[in-house]
Amino acid sequence: MDPRAWTRFRKNKGAFLGLALVAIATLTAVVGPQVAPHDPNEQFRETLVDSRGLPMAPLEVPGHLLGADSIGRDELSRLLHGGAVTMLVAFLATALAVSLGTLVGILSGFFRGPVDAAFMRLVDLLLSLPFLLLAIAIKRVVADPGLEVLVLILALLSWTTLARVVRAKTLQVRELEYVLAARALGMSHGRILIRHVLPNVAGPIIVLGTTLVAQLILFESALSFLGLGVEPPNASWGSMLREGSELIDSAPRLLLYPAAFIVMTVFGFNLLGEGLRDAFDPKE
Amino acid sequence: MSSDAPVSTGHPETSAEAAQEARRAARGRRDAIGCVVPVLGFIAVALLVMALAPERPDGPRYAGAGDATPRDGGTFVFHHESNVRSLDPQVAYDELSTMAIRLLFDGLLDYDHDGGLVPSLAVAVPEPQEGGTVFRFRLRRGVRFHALPGLPDGRELTARDVKFTMERLLRKQTGSPGAGFYEAIEGAVAFREGDAAAISGVRVLDRYTVEFRLKEPDQSFLYVMAMPFAYPVAPETFARFGSEADRHPGGTGPFVLEGWERGVQLTFQRNESYWKERVGPDRMVFLENIQRHLAGLRFMNGQIDALHRQTLDHRGLFTESEAWAETRLSFPRASIWGVVMNYEMPPFDNVHVRRAVAYAIDREGWARSRGNLILPTGQPLPPAITGYDPELEHRQSFDLERAREEMALAGYADGYPEVIEYWGSDGDVSRIYAELLQQDLARIGIEIRIRLVSFAVFLEQTGKPKTAALLMSGWNIDYPDPSSFLEPLFHSKNHRPANSSNRAHYQNAELDELLDRARRETNRQRRAAMYREASDFLARDAAWAFTYLPLTLEVWQPYVMNYRPHPIWAQDYRDVWLDLPKRRIAASLFGRGSAVPAALFPLARLGGRR
Amino acid sequence: MSAYIARRLVSAFLVLAAVITLVFLLMTQIGDPAAATLGNQATPEAVQEFNERYGLDRDVDAQFLGYLGLMRCQRPNSPVYDDDEAKNGYCGLLQGDFGESFLHNDPVAEVILRRLPRTLLLGAFALLFELVIGLGFGVFAALRRNRWQDTSIMSTAYLGQSLPSYVTGPIFLSYAAFLFGLFPVGGYGSTPLEHVQHAVLPAFTLAILGASTYARVTRSEMLDALQSDYVRTAKAKGLAPRHVLGHALRNALLPVVTLAGLSLRLLVGGAIITEQIYGWPGMGKLAVESIVNVDAPTVMGVVFFVALAVQLGNLLADLAVAALDPRVRLAG
Repeated sequence: MDPRAWTRFRKNKGAFLGLALVAIATLTAVVGPQVAPHDPNEQFRETLVDSRGLPMAPLEVPGHLLGADSIGRDELSRLLHGGAVTMLVAFLATALAVSLGTLVGILSGFFRGPVDAAFMRLVDLLLSLPFLLLAIAIKRVVADPGLEVLVLILALLSWTTLARVVRAKTLQVRELEYVLAARALGMSHGRILIRHVLPNVAGPIIVLGTTLVAQLILFESALSFLGLGVEPPNASWGSMLREGSELIDSAPRLLLYPAAFIVMTVFGFNLLGEGLRDAFDPKE
Repeated sequence: MSSDAPVSTGHPETSAEAAQEARRAARGRRDAIGCVVPVLGFIAVALLVMALAPERPDGPRYAGAGDATPRDGGTFVFHHESNVRSLDPQVAYDELSTMAIRLLFDGLLDYDHDGGLVPSLAVAVPEPQEGGTVFRFRLRRGVRFHALPGLPDGRELTARDVKFTMERLLRKQTGSPGAGFYEAIEGAVAFREGDAAAISGVRVLDRYTVEFRLKEPDQSFLYVMAMPFAYPVAPETFARFGSEADRHPGGTGPFVLEGWERGVQLTFQRNESYWKERVGPDRMVFLENIQRHLAGLRFMNGQIDALHRQTLDHRGLFTESEAWAETRLSFPRASIWGVVMNYEMPPFDNVHVRRAVAYAIDREGWARSRGNLILPTGQPLPPAITGYDPELEHRQSFDLERAREEMALAGYADGYPEVIEYWGSDGDVSRIYAELLQQDLARIGIEIRIRLVSFAVFLEQTGKPKTAALLMSGWNIDYPDPSSFLEPLFHSKNHRPANSSNRAHYQNAELDELLDRARRETNRQRRAAMYREASDFLARDAAWAFTYLPLTLEVWQPYVMNYRPHPIWAQDYRDVWLDLPKRRIAASLFGRGSAVPAALFPLARLGGRR
Repeated sequence: MSAYIARRLVSAFLVLAAVITLVFLLMTQIGDPAAATLGNQATPEAVQEFNERYGLDRDVDAQFLGYLGLMRCQRPNSPVYDDDEAKNGYCGLLQGDFGESFLHNDPVAEVILRRLPRTLLLGAFALLFELVIGLGFGVFAALRRNRWQDTSIMSTAYLGQSLPSYVTGPIFLSYAAFLFGLFPVGGYGSTPLEHVQHAVLPAFTLAILGASTYARVTRSEMLDALQSDYVRTAKAKGLAPRHVLGHALRNALLPVVTLAGLSLRLLVGGAIITEQIYGWPGMGKLAVESIVNVDAPTVMGVVFFVALAVQLGNLLADLAVAALDPRVRLAG
């Protein structure tokens, strides 16, 4: 890795804004559930829903800073808990996708030949499958669809881009002189991969992984929007978005709060990813 | 800073780096501006849009005077969030298909708005003869089928068609889900099993008379004859189109099918040779699979003429608005919704647990949470159905103390030790009720896990015995008689290895016997008392936790005339006609109140003209 | 070149075969078609009849062979139709028959051919918006490199990439279409002109993401191209700036073409969420409806077309890149 990367990164205000946004989102996810004023799933039917069935507005009822959701649950608490779920799912799925993508990419780039062909056809195959059908089918086949299944679905559908990039980079690296030398000296494949190839592909992995978090946050909320996300009554930002869209005309805030968090976080990760890209791979 | 200046002194690298550092610092400042500008811009645009946005219209575009003389003409557009499954009257058994079938077909009899029987293709409602076992239907003369290929010029309806229809309905290969309703007809079962070539109880007496003979008196028979299953069809269409007859419905109804792109829309054209004098639109367009939010917006925009289901949001708007008061109606559908507990699966094989659930449900709280979309209830029959009693002795209600006592009686004073899987179909409404139930049951120590699956899977799984322990289900009326509720839901004959309508898999010999007796009873009072008893029995035994009746809100445009929501038929627009002058005024008011002159945006001027 | 295409076609064929097999197996897992199609009150006889008519009473492998057209089947009008005992409702893929939809009771090919033009219209509009907005702003940003215009455009692009269509869709629908009355409120219209008018807003909703991506890619590729040797040479030779720009643009377009090729999938597969929000009766809506109703033949048909589009899109993009850039050799 380029030691000057950090210096370049430090100078990039956009990346810093991204980092700040990501930090806020991460902090929300980690601390949020602890500081949430209420149980996110408790319905205050008597106090937080008016006679027309509409939720109370922010500050209308003391102790409920952001008001209620459509069935009288504390909106702030749901946002805080939902953030934790969203971020956890996105991070876990990214970790899984990055591991899988790196492994497949390095192996196919390094060994080429039939291994490569097989993996790349697998990537093609996954890109050709309708993700909605896959998600429905997996949720149906698995007897006990919990959060881990959601993570699995997201990871399964998102490692392919990373695998392609890592493969391309590995193809370059394996032709470098010192790698060729190491091979000629009889260094084992495993050692070459770990000592020489992996450090060289680490840059793109970090960059892509960062933007992947952003994509997976969007992906999770899309699945939730289609009713395939977290299990009720639990909240995620995506499921809150879906729930909020029922009242888009009379209480648009229920849509806007989770949307703002999602956009902020995704914006943050994208900026950060771009900042990292500039830092690792300066073009100017 | 001139970055192009040649570096002549010092270490070239460090100098170049210094220059680069300086460039980067400058760039950093611009970065900061560049990041802030779009965000501020977004906020500014959002605020501007909010400020400029016209108020949401709280009434129809035009509600003034029109020309109230009944007239033909125009296109009537309506919608649903789901799709029509079939146009085969003998096969279709869902609300939406029934809606479409009722535009294309007529029955011998029909239900009026109070649930009474009125003649349609029959000249009169037949009087029971021979102790209530014989009914003679006289057909109207001059009723013609729609002109279809194979049916040139529309042949006249005769008694033989009625006979053909009954045979088709009862024939096993047809696979009619309604066949069971007609087993009271003499010889029906033998015909169905293939032991007889014809139904001995259905006889054609002359061209316009058909006689039905029953095995024993059955008080529900005439009601059953008004169900769409018995709507007469033309044999020729089946001879000609075979399995595709579904796409060429040959009925006698006020409209002819013009086209159907499945899942998108059906169009109907007025039947010019209808047997009865009537006025109505030239065309009807039924839009399938339109989400509620979109439907509401299009309705307010004047592009849909009658709004059937609304988001909570739009519902509030229509309910409160004075301007819609004349053209809206909220009424309980004749249906029942409840928490279904599997009679064969623990812990619900224990009556105390079932009772505890029935007591634990905060029905009023649910109604409040749902903006009074529902009418709480605690018994199996809806009001307006014989056997309903507001003072029913064992009617269920919310009582947390008693719920906890029942849990203690069942031996679960500290709560039920296992998590119970709750089955629901996916969708926001289903999810919300699941969440409401979850909170209520948690309070008596029953923890449930919500599993939402597609509606197809939901039906498949809950119709199988010993599969789903807990679910929520509803039942819509088939015909205005208590047997239409109690038999499919609780009679043990409807507990089957697959596709049970009795999703509680409830089996009780005492109840079966009571229901069978009531079906035969000819004395109205005694019959009502029997159904009241059955109702009380079910409430006491907590066969379900009876919960609510949905309140349907129907809203229609002021130029939609003569629409009366029907208690049994959903979206029954058969008798609607359009006040076209009024609609034209409404259409001309397009863009009223908009901040942007409508003329600038030709895109928007769509859909107003019909 | 032709060897390359042949190799690509073979691999595309293998992927398609795998997709079809996999989706066929998945569809047997997601529910009972008879229950889904006939509804909750179907009699056992009706269910049996349904299963016999569509050959669902047979083993999965027999069904699959029938679907592929390697076994005779009983769908009238099918090229492999036969009235012998072997039955299969959806049959004859290899003979070009996609079978008959359970739900629509129509040949799948007809169902898809009705929906495909709509989705193509929407997709073409979206692609147009994406390219016009994305390329325009991307080139502009590159020319104003590191000035405030550049950074503003780029961070707007990041924002655009962060805005999901299920947020923008309902907002556009409620505000732009309904309250301001600038666009038709959802739906599809009934004349070609109306189809186009109805497509504008959903296409724009779809295009936000793509336009942001294109803007970013175009900018960075333009920057690369402007700094490349040949552009410097061209400048040094005193070529008019307009022509220099043209040269640079031509090279910067390559990755954009690749990206556009990838988006053919979207063009054919439809945009599931956007089509639902706007009630646009295209392939995305068809996919959801048929998955939910366990309408296996239709799902298979849609998946087939989408997979075909992905393969075709990749191939076309590669060929286009080769045509634009003589340095690119097409190999393996």
